[in-house]
Amino acid sequence: MSIKTKCLSRRTKVLSWTPENLLRNGLIAGRRADRYPHCYSIDVGAGGPAIIRDGTRLPLKREAGWYKDAIIYQIHVRTFFDSNSDGIGDFHGLAQKLDYVQELGVNAIWLMPFFSSPLRDDGYDISDYKSVHPSYGTLEDFKTFLSSAHDRGIRVIIEMVANHTSDQHPWFLESRSSQDNPKRDWYVWSDTDTTYRGTRIIFLDTEMSNWAWDPISKSYYWHRFFSHQPDLNYDNPAVCEEMWNVMKFWLELGVDGFRLDAVPYLIEREGTSCENLPETHEVIRELRKKVDDQFPGAILLAEANQWPADLRPYFGNGDEFHMAFHFPLMPRMFMGLRLEDRKPITEILQQTPEIPATCQWCLFLRNHDELTLEMVTDIERDYMYDIYASDKTMRLNLGIRRRLAPLLDNDRRRIELMNGMLMSLPGTPIIYYGDEIGMGDNIYLGDRNGVRTPMQWSGGWNGGFSTADPESLYSPPILNPVYGYQAVNVLSQKRTEHSLLSWMKHIMRIRRSSPVFGAGSIEFLYPANHRVLAYVRQLGKETVLVVNNLSSAAQAVELDLRRYKGNILIEMFGRNIFPRIGDVPYLLTMGPYQFYWFRLRRI
Amino acid sequence: MAEETVLTDDFLRQLINVGEVDILVGLPTHNNARTIEPVIRAIQAGILKCFPRERVVIINADGGSQDGTPELVIRASIDDVWNVSKVYALRTLHSISTRYARNPEPGTALRTILAAADLLRAKACVVVSPDSTTIEPDWLQRLVRPVYNDNFDLVAPIYRRQKFEGVLMRNLLYPMTRAIYGYRVREPYASEFAISGRLATDFLTKETWNAEWGRIGAEICLTITAITGKYRVCQSFLGTKAQPARSASDLVAAMRRTVGALFLSLDSNFPLWSAIADSQPVPTLGAQSEVMLEPVRVNRKRLREMFATGVAQLEPVLRSILSASTLSELQRIAALEVNEFNYPADVWAKTVFEFAASYHKCVISRDHIVQALVPLYRGRTLSFLLENRDGSGQDMEKSVESLCGEFERLKPYLLEVWADRK
Amino acid sequence: MWEIIITELTQALQELARGFAHYLPRLIVMLIIALVGWVIAYLLKVLVRSILRLTKFSKLSENAGATQLLNQAALPSSTELLSRFVFWVAWIAFILLGVSVLGIVGLQEYISRFFLFLPRLFVALVILFFGLLAASFFSRAALLAAVNANFRSSRLLSISIRIIISIFALSMVFEVLGVAEETMLIAFGTAFGAVMLGLAIAFGIGGKDLAREFLEKKIVTGKKEEKEDDPSPL
Repeated sequence: MSIKTKCLSRRTKVLSWTPENLLRNGLIAGRRADRYPHCYSIDVGAGGPAIIRDGTRLPLKREAGWYKDAIIYQIHVRTFFDSNSDGIGDFHGLAQKLDYVQELGVNAIWLMPFFSSPLRDDGYDISDYKSVHPSYGTLEDFKTFLSSAHDRGIRVIIEMVANHTSDQHPWFLESRSSQDNPKRDWYVWSDTDTTYRGTRIIFLDTEMSNWAWDPISKSYYWHRFFSHQPDLNYDNPAVCEEMWNVMKFWLELGVDGFRLDAVPYLIEREGTSCENLPETHEVIRELRKKVDDQFPGAILLAEANQWPADLRPYFGNGDEFHMAFHFPLMPRMFMGLRLEDRKPITEILQQTPEIPATCQWCLFLRNHDELTLEMVTDIERDYMYDIYASDKTMRLNLGIRRRLAPLLDNDRRRIELMNGMLMSLPGTPIIYYGDEIGMGDNIYLGDRNGVRTPMQWSGGWNGGFSTADPESLYSPPILNPVYGYQAVNVLSQKRTEHSLLSWMKHIMRIRRSSPVFGAGSIEFLYPANHRVLAYVRQLGKETVLVVNNLSSAAQAVELDLRRYKGNILIEMFGRNIFPRIGDVPYLLTMGPYQFYWFRLRRI
Repeated sequence: MAEETVLTDDFLRQLINVGEVDILVGLPTHNNARTIEPVIRAIQAGILKCFPRERVVIINADGGSQDGTPELVIRASIDDVWNVSKVYALRTLHSISTRYARNPEPGTALRTILAAADLLRAKACVVVSPDSTTIEPDWLQRLVRPVYNDNFDLVAPIYRRQKFEGVLMRNLLYPMTRAIYGYRVREPYASEFAISGRLATDFLTKETWNAEWGRIGAEICLTITAITGKYRVCQSFLGTKAQPARSASDLVAAMRRTVGALFLSLDSNFPLWSAIADSQPVPTLGAQSEVMLEPVRVNRKRLREMFATGVAQLEPVLRSILSASTLSELQRIAALEVNEFNYPADVWAKTVFEFAASYHKCVISRDHIVQALVPLYRGRTLSFLLENRDGSGQDMEKSVESLCGEFERLKPYLLEVWADRK
Repeated sequence: MWEIIITELTQALQELARGFAHYLPRLIVMLIIALVGWVIAYLLKVLVRSILRLTKFSKLSENAGATQLLNQAALPSSTELLSRFVFWVAWIAFILLGVSVLGIVGLQEYISRFFLFLPRLFVALVILFFGLLAASFFSRAALLAAVNANFRSSRLLSISIRIIISIFALSMVFEVLGVAEETMLIAFGTAFGAVMLGLAIAFGIGGKDLAREFLEKKIVTGKKEEKEDDPSPL
């Protein structure tokens, strides 16, 4: 880690007062030396750049577009670290582990819901938006965590479950209390269960209908997810207003953005699928405007499991979401790997429309949910099931509830290749906690709890997650000899240079070394060998060539690089030089599941 | 000869890009642009329907087409670059083409396809005729499944045929192959068939490859190799086989390709077939045979005339091929009028066997021997037509069966004339 | 008188005996040469035969249709024929060598001429052999093609081809042998002309039918022909 120090003395114009800009310019410039008498330093440590003034860190300023260069680490407070030995992770514990997160090399954390909740859907059933669930600590603990994260240059994105609340939420309790309650209109009520018939049921395995009977007010209420999660009525301006108040509450505390859960379902209209309605976009545009006006730099991230063309409207003209998950790409990466064929990946990216320059895709391999197979065809889904979830207990709804390492047979080469693609395809990568060390899952736990087991810190007591009795943990840790905490843990992987953790740190360091990965354009090369996925990322003068071998066998591939004739290739991991590009097809031989990142240089 | 390669550098490069496959579809062509499109469409549909997950490649071995046939085949590719057809497929489908020679050589085409199957380690290799306009997507499945799933090594087709189609098959190729090699393969010389990668590899390394096979076609040799080499053979019912219109000169060419190849195979396989005394059935999927009873208009008078002229004019040639008794029998038949015409099964079987023996002994140029058989075959065709004119499909099956019996019964006669050095 | 006769007779006898005594060793030498020649010729024959067998000449001649030709002429196989030819040529050469030892005036010249003539004879025989072979092969090929094309005058065509090729081969043979070149040239010319005329007439007569058939097919009964199916072989 290098520390670069420079006292400000020169008169130059400040373009944008951000650590990244300072870094790019290679110096820190000030308008007037006498107005900046302090000694600044830039820490370009693993946690991303941060400015240190006279030994103390400055609070992170929100630069527009920061999310484009980000690498996001997805954490559930409950699963990360237990500081008070109650068997449940908490904010205090999470704050203690921030050094690890910083070292890892990510610069943003996405926290799953930590609000007050009956926890019938792992916190996605919120009963009070403005408080922290007592198991995880207090609001004060959250504030402490937030500021220490910011001190390390790590931004924090929190969950905003806007579509629905818990049925224990006071609003719902009031709403259902009688048909003429003032909050009655805060939820979607109906006398029959036949309204909005064209709407699909998402949790096919548990729910029979999108309507649930409320015996108290003697009518049906609308729910797209579990029946204990009634949908809020966004046709009611009061609801919109109140939800903005909630967001404002957290933004004022300093959070850097929200992941909006279940966005397509905010508004219902008869005769439609009740998804992606124009009215929904209207609600989002209003929210975005308020965010931009009052908290510039904060971001909105959409969770909308839709086809790319249907997702595109959520970016609007850059006036809706900053980011959205690219759901259809993820299963196709797994599919391409197993088919040893790049076609699924290139095809979905060909179908992905252009998005406004200020917007960004969020890419992920695995997350806290099942590997969703909603956005694939029937043939593809059957294939995915047969290949990745031959055991039926691994399947849930329309998806596969497994973690990255078990999905890839714990094959290090495949894990590396998939992460290599995640880090080099256009978008902001998200790493699900534990996947950086290759944690396993427990398919015998119900629902999606199998992928939400305690983080494995060491080979010791409860895997270093908690000092409580193992029996009292919120979830049993993984114990088997392959994926259990004694085999897979942070401590042992830190010690070896060859571990997956060390490798993940390395690849993230390389990704951060060039803005081309976050913001560059992509152009696919289509070598005749369909097992090789090759693309060129370009931003300004920086050009990076990425070549991935999806096959389990060695491959020869000829790349048409005539456009880049005269450049030499520099392999970014080992920094070795490869031959200059000439007129003939560039021949590469690639080992099984091997990938190269080449920086193109004209010397 | 072993070092001789049928793979051009360009083709090899294409094969590298295709990589290992599960199923290889071979398509030998020569100026087939007129009929190939439905064939290609059916193959593609068959792949997408029945083998969406398998790695499949379509390989076109072209004998110097001038009408853009290879381009039509290449267009069947499904990949992320050229997917103009907008067909949905799970994986890339390569459809590649190579020109093995300037002129069509069926044997070399097959060899090219088999060499590709060997290199790409295909588990199943299916060859489809570019003429089969009646092909349905299911054909692919019916041919490939037995190899791919049930470990058969050769799948021969069974077609639904018009009553008087495949006359040569019914009257010579089937009965003779059956009598000689002891397996009841209905279509020993098929334009559609599937083989296992194992058989493809073994067949390629066989010593019997020579220029002769390259020229006249090796399909029958493949069938014989499979039968004699203890490979697992089965038959699969496909459907209606379309018959492209053929003229008389095509008959000579067809006889050369089929009968010539069958006669030629007898030379090197003598130790094998001389020991076989009877025949055994081959496992069959689907119908054993189906006959469509559609009226056929054949100029019977012309057939009789061609037979009679042939026997009279070729007398000196036939004398050197046939035994005196058979020749006089033929001359007797040639004198018959159409309404009483009859070329009995036993005489026909003897004729064919004597031709085979003469072919073996090279009493005259081998090609001339095959050509000399053509008019006699016309006579047999007429007799077959008359015999089954009013019969049902079953009746005809019976008559084919009895002909086969006649061939099997007279096999010792073949051995006799074979050994006889006159 | 008697004395004279007796003396003359004795003298003649003595002359004869002297002459005989003079010739006897030569005769013996000649016989020895002939005998040794026979042995050498026989060895040559065996050698040629085995070489031909090794090089699979019989296969070659089979493919060319020569075997059948020889069979027809009740001749032994081509290998046998060639080796016998070598044997006879070699032995005759030795015998002639022996005769020349006898020193008979005039004979010497003939013998040397024979030796000069030998290569030509050989070439001529080879030409004749292959010529007749070709005549037989091509005439049969034409016959088969014509019959299978349902040609009316196939026999005529076949025979014409055989005659033309045979005449051509023969003329070449005589050319090589140098026998009565001019006569042969005229004879050949006449024969060739006659054959051509014959052919022309034959084709004229035969072609009348052909032409009628062709025209009928094309113009008069074109539709009828279409209806008829040729039963497909495969």
